[in-house]
This record gives sequence, C-alpha cells and structure tokens, in this order.
Amino acid sequence: MMHDDFDDLDRMLAALPLEDPPAELRSRILTATIYRPRPAVLTWEIWLIGTLVALAVWATWLLAAAPDAGSRLVDASSELIEAGGLNSLTTAAWLAVGVSAAWWISQMSFPTSARRIEIP
Amino acid sequence: MAAALAVEPPPVAAPVVDDQALIAATLAGRPEAFEELVARYERSVYNLAVRTLHDATEAQDAAQEAFFKAYRALGTFRPGAKFSTWIFTICYRGCCDRLAKRKRFSGDELPDRADPSAGPAALAERNDEAVRLRSAIDALPEKYRAVITLYHLQGKQYEEIATVLNLPLGTVKTHLFRAKEQLRKALTI
Repeated sequence: MMHDDFDDLDRMLAALPLEDPPAELRSRILTATIYRPRPAVLTWEIWLIGTLVALAVWATWLLAAAPDAGSRLVDASSELIEAGGLNSLTTAAWLAVGVSAAWWISQMSFPTSARRIEIP
Repeated sequence: MAAALAVEPPPVAAPVVDDQALIAATLAGRPEAFEELVARYERSVYNLAVRTLHDATEAQDAAQEAFFKAYRALGTFRPGAKFSTWIFTICYRGCCDRLAKRKRFSGDELPDRADPSAGPAALAERNDEAVRLRSAIDALPEKYRAVITLYHLQGKQYEEIATVLNLPLGTVKTHLFRAKEQLRKALTI
C-alpha cells in the first residue's frame, strides 16, 4: 500500500517556477507555423504537372515514331494555320499583342498583406 | 468639476477563450488564434523538453517541432480532448526520438543520471530551494523524471500523464511514488 505523505514535496513542487523559455522561441514557433510562407508549388500540383509532362512526352514519342511523321506534321500545321486564319497579318498582330500582354502580366508582382483579426 | 466626479469604469477583463475555440478559430483561417495557443503552452512545452533532454538548445528545437506538428495536424485534433495533453504527447515523443538518436550516434548508453558536477555559480546557488529541487529532478532516472515533470506541469491529472507517457495508470502512480521518494531522499525533507 502506497501512502502519499509527500505534502512538503508537493508544496515545493507547486512553488517551483517554470523556467523561462528563450525570448526567440515564440517567434521561431510562429515563423515555422502561421507565418510559414506558402510553398510556391503544392504537392498535388507537382503530381499534376508531372503527369501532364509525362503524357506530353509520350504523345510526342508516338507522333515521332509514326511513319512519315515529319511530312504529316507539316501538312497538319499548314491545314491548321489556314483553318484558323493565322496566315493573315491582322490575326498574327493580335496574337502578338495577346502574347506580349500575357508576358507583361506574368512579370508583375502583387504585394501580400498580413491579415490580422482580433480574437473575440 | 465634472471631471473629478466622473468615475472611471472598472477594467473589463478580456473573456478567456478556451482551447477548443482557439483550435476552431485556427482551422477557420484565423492564425492569431494559434498564436494565443502558443502563448499559453510555450513555457510548459519548453519545460517538458528541457527536463527530458537536459539541453536548452535541443529543447528549443523540440518545442518548435512539437508546435509545428500540432499545427499541421490540427485538423485531426479530437474535439473534447485536452490540447495540453496532446501537445505534451507530441513533444514527449519527439524528445524520446531525439534521445534515441543521441544514444544511437554516441554509441554509448545514455547516463541514467545527470552529471553531478556543476559550475561554481550553480554550486553557490545550491541553498536555494528551487535550485535544489531542480537539481534533484535532473538527477532522477529518465522514466521518473518524465513523470515528475508532467506532475509538476499538469498537477494530479494522472490519466493525462498516463496518456502522454503511453503508460498504464498504475505504472504512472508507481513511478510517481518512487520519484517522490527519491526526491525526498535527495532533499532530505
């Protein structure tokens, strides 16, 4: 039978102050958790991109391995250009404007703001 | 004299938000709620780590890692459970892994007792009760030190201690009794 007659020790333990953690610990924890920057590419995005690249490589290999692949590709491209009207100067100019606008937008950077809401 | 007659309203205490509400707020996309949880438990988690590892630098890493793991797994936190028990469990397991790694890399058995030699400053403070108690706790074998540390941090919540240490309740009580006995001998109470 164990008797808990450690009153003095319990009092000492209750009075024992906790050690102060180093001052930088909290900022380290917060930097590692809530202020951790979001990864540029998420895991599922890596898988998606990888799958698409693999499919593209596979499709390219299929096309390249086909007999007369070069001439068929040229024929298909010219048909596409004619069908889409890409051989006209106006269409080409608009295409160039669109591509340059897309490139210009991709070079822009937008500042992110930290959201702070008071806890009720 | 309106200013002199004006009675200042008593300061209104900020409502204390419980841990469950803070967890829910964090999950709802309010990071400042997690900041509050860190503020509440940073000290006790660090103390658990430093008592277990006997190394302040490694204890900082262990405490940071514990909060990081808790933050990532916050969605799996069981409603109704105690956050303190959960974060202590994560921290203690991390400390055990670190101790096992330390043991593996050093190739030696871990000392069951802390190094009794202390610097002159520490020796000069031996009379201080808190310092004596801390030294006595540090000198306990690891299994007793963990129990007494959690007893110090959590009070007489034996079930919580058993959960953190993954030990049966009876073993926790036995370890605690033996730890207290050794402490009492060391302190000659």
